[in-house]
Amino acid sequence: MSILELDNVTKTFDGVRAVDRTTLGFDKGKITSLIGPNGAGKTTVFNLISGFLHPDEGVISYQDRPISGLAPWDIAQMGIGRLFQDVRLFNQMTVKDNVLTAFKKQRGESALMSVIARWKVAKEEQLLSSRAMKLLDFVGLAEKEEELAENLSYGQQKLLSIARLLGADADLFLLDEPTAGINPQMVKVFLDVIRRLTEEGKTVIVIEHNMNVVIEISDWVYFMDEGQVVSFGLPNEVLGDPEVRAAYVGL
Amino acid sequence: MNYVFHLLTMINIYTILALSLNLLVGYTGLLSLSHAAFYGIGAYISTLFMMNIGLPFLPSLFLAILGSVLLSLIISIPSLSLKGDYFVLASLGFQIIVFTILYNWIDVTRGPYGISGIPRPNILGIQVESIASYFIFSGVLAAICAGLLYLIGDSPFGRVLKAIREDEISAAALGKNIPRFKVIAFAIASGFAAVSGVLFAGYLQYIDPTSFTLMESVFILSIIIIGGTGNLSGPILGTILMIILPEILRFLRIPDTIAPNVREIIYGILIILIMRFQPQGLSGEYKFE
Repeated sequence: MSILELDNVTKTFDGVRAVDRTTLGFDKGKITSLIGPNGAGKTTVFNLISGFLHPDEGVISYQDRPISGLAPWDIAQMGIGRLFQDVRLFNQMTVKDNVLTAFKKQRGESALMSVIARWKVAKEEQLLSSRAMKLLDFVGLAEKEEELAENLSYGQQKLLSIARLLGADADLFLLDEPTAGINPQMVKVFLDVIRRLTEEGKTVIVIEHNMNVVIEISDWVYFMDEGQVVSFGLPNEVLGDPEVRAAYVGL
Repeated sequence: MNYVFHLLTMINIYTILALSLNLLVGYTGLLSLSHAAFYGIGAYISTLFMMNIGLPFLPSLFLAILGSVLLSLIISIPSLSLKGDYFVLASLGFQIIVFTILYNWIDVTRGPYGISGIPRPNILGIQVESIASYFIFSGVLAAICAGLLYLIGDSPFGRVLKAIREDEISAAALGKNIPRFKVIAFAIASGFAAVSGVLFAGYLQYIDPTSFTLMESVFILSIIIIGGTGNLSGPILGTILMIILPEILRFLRIPDTIAPNVREIIYGILIILIMRFQPQGLSGEYKFE
């Protein structure tokens, strides 16, 4: 059963159709990979789903509710979390604050409450702080909690972005090249995290260029080119498609 | 001694201005050029209510804050959903419009003639009359404002503002309603700027539009760039330095005719040096990049 659907969605930039009458469906609790050459429209699909772009035509629905046209924060509040390709941490904030910011529905996010109900906010903050530490512990960054995010290595920044995403408590995760630029050992950590998410019933959509990763984790694969879906199926079916093999020379 | 109390009172008034602008620049990453406008709005609203209707000090202070907050929404709601640069332009436009209104609406503001004879505050029967007592009074208000701004900044709300400063897109993807947080931060900063204006009017007992110019907005911005932003100590240190500095220059016996120009040159050099060698200011947390 699809938890997220794009129905005949089109997005045009200066006359170029980045996403062209595309229909996609993503099953709940499954890992679906979006693959394709650069410029295929994969990241545009993510931007459309997460509300940073709005479709020119077509409808996007999440849990049977149309979400096209909603603001990114409304979509995030509905349970769609996103990991950016370029990490996008809050660089001049501590590692722990990066994770704490992700938690939803914090009482202290009201300026008024942070003044008049200080003790309640402090109490909530204590709970959130221990949740943040658990997440940092999970990705192996607990001892860096007071470090500024900008001082972490690239691999550690990626791990922090995962911890932050987990803190956002999403039901559907959009992961844009999660394993790019990190060492094989960390790739394993990432894949474990992704698998664990689906064991908890979460849905994961991954944009990935590493075909070994795609084969290893995907339940379903979409191959996109020039804004359209060219092939869809099980990983081995799609990667066996001659057109796909042509796009990924050396596979 | 009155000279020292005068300087300390001005430090109190400018501390509130600097700390409130810090909430915008240092926490939220919003460069505002309209802080002097809200400073002026506070001064004029309280003065007009006190002098025309005879309203006591505290209700006038409250109305000044309320007026400033409401007027802040005029620029923040349309401009803050746009990218940062538009907000800077909107704040610049607002600053110029407010100055023009204060200068030309002579029936109400007396324009360039200014308003004199503004009563000193009377708080629940206690008259704040002498310069020494005004220093204490302004110090108490500045401490309350600093305390409130500390509570606001050092909270999950302040954390979201910092996240917006660092990466708006990322904060939005985490479910933070960016325009809402910005509008609230701007309203809070404007409300506190109004408190400074009320204190200023009550202290000098005279106001005219030349105290609330674009240059004044730039001066407040200089305070926090030099002192530093993103925490309390930077803006406070900047305020002390920038208020004391002209007095130090006075002791250097620079002729009065060129003293203001020398002061501007020194401010300019200080800002350049700070941005080059200490981008987080003397004691700030946030590095301008």
